[in-house]
Amino acid sequence: MCADQHSAAFGFTGRRDILRGLGSAALASLFHRAEGRAGELRAGGGRPDRGRADRGSPLEPRVVHRPARARSVIFLFMAGGPSQLETFDPKPLLNKLHGQRRPAEFGEAKYQFVQNDARLLGTKRRFRRHGESGIEVSDLFPHLSTCIDDFAVIRSCTGDQVVHSAAQYELFSGRTTPGYPSMGSWALMGLGSDSDSLPAYVVLPDPLGALEAGQPMYMNGFLPAAYQPTMFRPGERPVLNLEPPAHVDLPQRRRTLKLIRDLNESTLPSGDNELEARLNSYDLAFRMQTRAPEVFDLTRETRETLDLYGIGTAPTDDYGRRCLMARRLVENGVRFVCCVSGGGPGNMQWDAHADIEENHLRKASETDKPVAGLMKDLKRRGLLDETLVLWGGEFGRSPEAQGGKGRDHHNLGFTMLMAGGGIRGGQVVGATDDIGLRAIESPHHFRDIHATMLHQLGLDQHQLTYRHQGRDERLTFLEGQVIREII
Amino acid sequence: MRCRSSESKLSFCTCVVWVLLTVLFRATAAPAQDTAVSEPRLTFEQHVAPILQTRCIRCHGADQRESGLDLRRRFTMLTGGDSGPAIVAGDSSGSLMMELIDERLMPPEDEPELSSSQISTLRRWIASGAAIAGDIEPPLPDTPAGGDSIDETARQHWAFQPIAEPAVPAVRNQAWVKTPPDAFVLAELEARHWQPAVPASKATLIRRLYFDLTGLPPRPDDVTAFVNNQSPDAYEQVVDRLLASEHYGERWAQHWLDVVRFAETEGFEYDRHLPEAWRFRDYVIDSLNEDKPFDQFIREQIAGDEIRPDDVEYQSAAIFHRLGAVRRNAGNPEIALSRNEVLTERTNIIGEVFLGLTVGCARCHNHKLEPITQKDYYRLQAYFAATHEYDISLVSPEEKQAWDEQAAEIKDRISKLKKQADTQTTEQKAQLQQKLQQIASRQPPVPSTIPSIRNDEKERTPIHVLRRGLWEHKGVAVGPRPLSVLVSATEPELPAEITAPRTQLANWLTSEHHPLTARVVVNRVWQYHFGAGLVRTANDFGTHGSRPSHPELLDWLATAFRGHGWRLKPLHRLIVLSNTYRQSSRGRHESETTGADPDNRLLSHFSRRRLSGEEIRDAMLAVSGRLNPKLHGPSVITPVDPEMMSLLYNPTQWIVTKDVAEHDRRSIYLIAKRNLRLPFLEAFDAPALQTSCPLREESTHAPQALELLNGKLANDMAAAFADRLTRECGQDPERIVDRAWLLATAREPTTRERELSLEFLRSEPLQEFALAVLNLNEFIYVR
Repeated sequence: MCADQHSAAFGFTGRRDILRGLGSAALASLFHRAEGRAGELRAGGGRPDRGRADRGSPLEPRVVHRPARARSVIFLFMAGGPSQLETFDPKPLLNKLHGQRRPAEFGEAKYQFVQNDARLLGTKRRFRRHGESGIEVSDLFPHLSTCIDDFAVIRSCTGDQVVHSAAQYELFSGRTTPGYPSMGSWALMGLGSDSDSLPAYVVLPDPLGALEAGQPMYMNGFLPAAYQPTMFRPGERPVLNLEPPAHVDLPQRRRTLKLIRDLNESTLPSGDNELEARLNSYDLAFRMQTRAPEVFDLTRETRETLDLYGIGTAPTDDYGRRCLMARRLVENGVRFVCCVSGGGPGNMQWDAHADIEENHLRKASETDKPVAGLMKDLKRRGLLDETLVLWGGEFGRSPEAQGGKGRDHHNLGFTMLMAGGGIRGGQVVGATDDIGLRAIESPHHFRDIHATMLHQLGLDQHQLTYRHQGRDERLTFLEGQVIREII
Repeated sequence: MRCRSSESKLSFCTCVVWVLLTVLFRATAAPAQDTAVSEPRLTFEQHVAPILQTRCIRCHGADQRESGLDLRRRFTMLTGGDSGPAIVAGDSSGSLMMELIDERLMPPEDEPELSSSQISTLRRWIASGAAIAGDIEPPLPDTPAGGDSIDETARQHWAFQPIAEPAVPAVRNQAWVKTPPDAFVLAELEARHWQPAVPASKATLIRRLYFDLTGLPPRPDDVTAFVNNQSPDAYEQVVDRLLASEHYGERWAQHWLDVVRFAETEGFEYDRHLPEAWRFRDYVIDSLNEDKPFDQFIREQIAGDEIRPDDVEYQSAAIFHRLGAVRRNAGNPEIALSRNEVLTERTNIIGEVFLGLTVGCARCHNHKLEPITQKDYYRLQAYFAATHEYDISLVSPEEKQAWDEQAAEIKDRISKLKKQADTQTTEQKAQLQQKLQQIASRQPPVPSTIPSIRNDEKERTPIHVLRRGLWEHKGVAVGPRPLSVLVSATEPELPAEITAPRTQLANWLTSEHHPLTARVVVNRVWQYHFGAGLVRTANDFGTHGSRPSHPELLDWLATAFRGHGWRLKPLHRLIVLSNTYRQSSRGRHESETTGADPDNRLLSHFSRRRLSGEEIRDAMLAVSGRLNPKLHGPSVITPVDPEMMSLLYNPTQWIVTKDVAEHDRRSIYLIAKRNLRLPFLEAFDAPALQTSCPLREESTHAPQALELLNGKLANDMAAAFADRLTRECGQDPERIVDRAWLLATAREPTTRERELSLEFLRSEPLQEFALAVLNLNEFIYVR
């Protein structure tokens, strides 16, 4: 949202260039797409390759840097930091050392609250091998474990920060301070929108409340406002300003829109792309107004599908609804959906300082079935091939106890999952040491996750840049390493 | 000497010690023919130099000597750099170089790691005594010291040259030259055989000028008076009136607030409110309105607390240093880390705002693109070594104490209620949230406090060059000194404990001979008038920034600016009175220029501009007659959609201003909260409020249309606009249409526009017509 210089990546030379080109041809292509949509999307599995004479409209689909495997991303954001030790990273030694101090050979760690003399905390969870891959998953996830063959389990994730806000910024933007574009905004800038009636980057926040890093975490930073997220709200009308105010009905508003178009067209100089783009943005707005509510309407789903997500059953209803919404969104061309589990005060997130058992049993019971339902639903609809699913939080949790039963934040080794969009599932990547403290085998920083995600979307971390304050900024900041073994 | 894996840890350690002792013994005493390990004798020349040559020397040798380190000879490695010796002969694990390699800190992250055999060679060479091939190494070739010195040729870069006093160029069409800048612009056009555009119509010009100088639309009377005023200085009269208007300061303050990353909350998790940061905003408005010399304006912001510690105005200026995002940390203290983050933020912003240089890039390593060394960066930071937050209370101690007690009690109640929240259902939580809001809103107003800074000698942070910018990795200590490229090579560092260090910094920035500051300021002013600067990258005048389109004009303006005592208003006059500024936005030679000069850098016509989000909101308030023109004072918090509150981690911070008349004040008075920006402004490219924003984006996308069609603000304003039209024009549709156009676009409607509007009004509600007018391109753009 702040222009200094512009990206060389797409040949922008000035800010007006971004707008140039969403002319009548682009409008025609929008309409064309609207008609030919269903077949087009199904056909290739990847992004439809449209020839485009014009360039530069901020949301027009773009030519990617390399063949893409994924068209969309769903990030299942387990906010607050789920424990690796209770979920996907079994550590028998930790149970043996329960109540003792961390042996010196495991090295030092800095926590937000726990001191160095804290005692190790064994886990009460039981792990069992699942699927053909035989990957160990804890009993927190009876449903998710049935899909484990689709997931690459990255047990060696690392970040630089051990406090929520800064870690959340890093998870989303690759930087530990606010003001940098999120991965959703980068993906959108790289790919453009693939929907003619929906916002292209959607965040489905937990209705329980906001997170520590707040809204800046999801934002477009210094990228143009066209790449900002749309924050869905709870309830029947998820998108702000999508309906006319109460005193106006839709036919009335349609006539007003016609007046606006007629008036603006009457003074439009011929060949003025910028003002034409503005005219067209009203058409898109109106299509969103009329068509998007159909996409948001979950009652169009069968009972069987609703059950698959656990909709209508107490603990799973909310996250189930949002996971189903995520599927409906990507199905209709939305690029990036972030579906947040956790919000409000710490214990309403996965932030289990006080009691890891109580917290994780509760959070897992809310999300396990919905996540598994989403995976199965995507798969049976052929959407998993083109949708990258990412599961994880801003960090993991400490092997040491906090206050006897809880676990503190921990950023030196934790687990994230990736599936779909060309990711080879059913394998484990990397390892932490024997107490789950530190990633010791193929550690992967957030920027490796980012680089891998971009890679699957057909984007190159080095080419997807934007000049800001004299630097060609990119999502991966220094440089991410694509996790080769899972693609 | 073999360690078996089955051996216990203890014997393993013994084994290691034994190896080390053996190695040490060999290094000091044993001759090379020791046969315990059968490997060739490693020498610097034969084994080590080739590795260093390909992987290290680029930054630590020939051209650069980052961190003062030179790896071209063994003797320079033994001496080391800012962080001490790079190697200790015979002790590889005690050698800094190996430590950095082992920790994967070197080579830097953007380069491939050394291979394991390369690492092993280096380790074994050091362990075996770091031998050289002969008895003595050749001396270093006679090249200037790198590392903390810069490439001397970089001084030739245009922006580092003294500001010239160029003559105004001769042009053929002398009659077109109204003010000297016209001659510079016209000379470039004539060189291409282009002609400037025709003058804009009077109606177009006055609307352009009003938004430019005040951020508000002209009133119908102003338009009519100007259009009918045939006096030759009619335009000049309007210019002078607007420059004298208080709204001028409001408009231009917003530009400055963008640049200095103004926000009234600290961001991050707590997003703590600085209750009286608005004093900085008022300080900027007042300074601009009184046309305070800009050099003084800069000095007050950088060193107001040092210059006049007892003066509210000067302390308000110094809030500048408190405007950055601050990460507060619960739990284990990270004092040194937090301090490092604050110092970093305060240093970087100086480069961006005043120098127009991306000095922040030199925090971790010498700047990759610009002649700025890492040492330069920390010398700049050294001006802030003793700078700490200091909240100055403007009330008596008794009042303060009474407030503290009351606040503590409320805080206590809130935290007790919050604890309940953890175990509650969503519904109960909503109720609780409401209760929390109520309690929080009962909080008495915070006693007046200026969130300023001061030098606290006891808390001085010794400034070191920090390896990779990490506070734990301290290199050589430094004192304050301007950037090397801008001073002579012999300029000494100031003593670290110098008194009033920031006054020194401010004086240097505003000194007679400083090549950057005045150029950076006049370029910003030009940019806001024309939509783009002569240098397009307003925060980056470095060798990799954009080059000026009219270098001589830039210098001429900078010279004129200083000649007028660093005052902005004479500069504005020179610009807005020029014929360049008064051109139509339709070029005379569009077919030629759009191809050759698509960005209109040569100014062959005026560049149309979309209004900023703030201008659109202010204009809607003005046009609908709802604008509350009050100046100054605490920031206003307007009601937002209840669901917006769920985006706040701490919704109790959003305490809506009680007096509803305040909600209709200009956008500059709305609270600038980092973690919750108004969706309306956000959609229209308002800055992220986290870092300096040198220029607003102008993007076009559907959520803008949704805001203007369905948003509460737009519909409220349309209703008020309709009321106003009825009030002023009765039921007469023709008058209504004419009036609406005059208010919203400063002109009469065209025949077609009138027809369409009258037709619509025959069957549709007036409010919908009013809404349509607020959606006109001509309302949203300035031509």
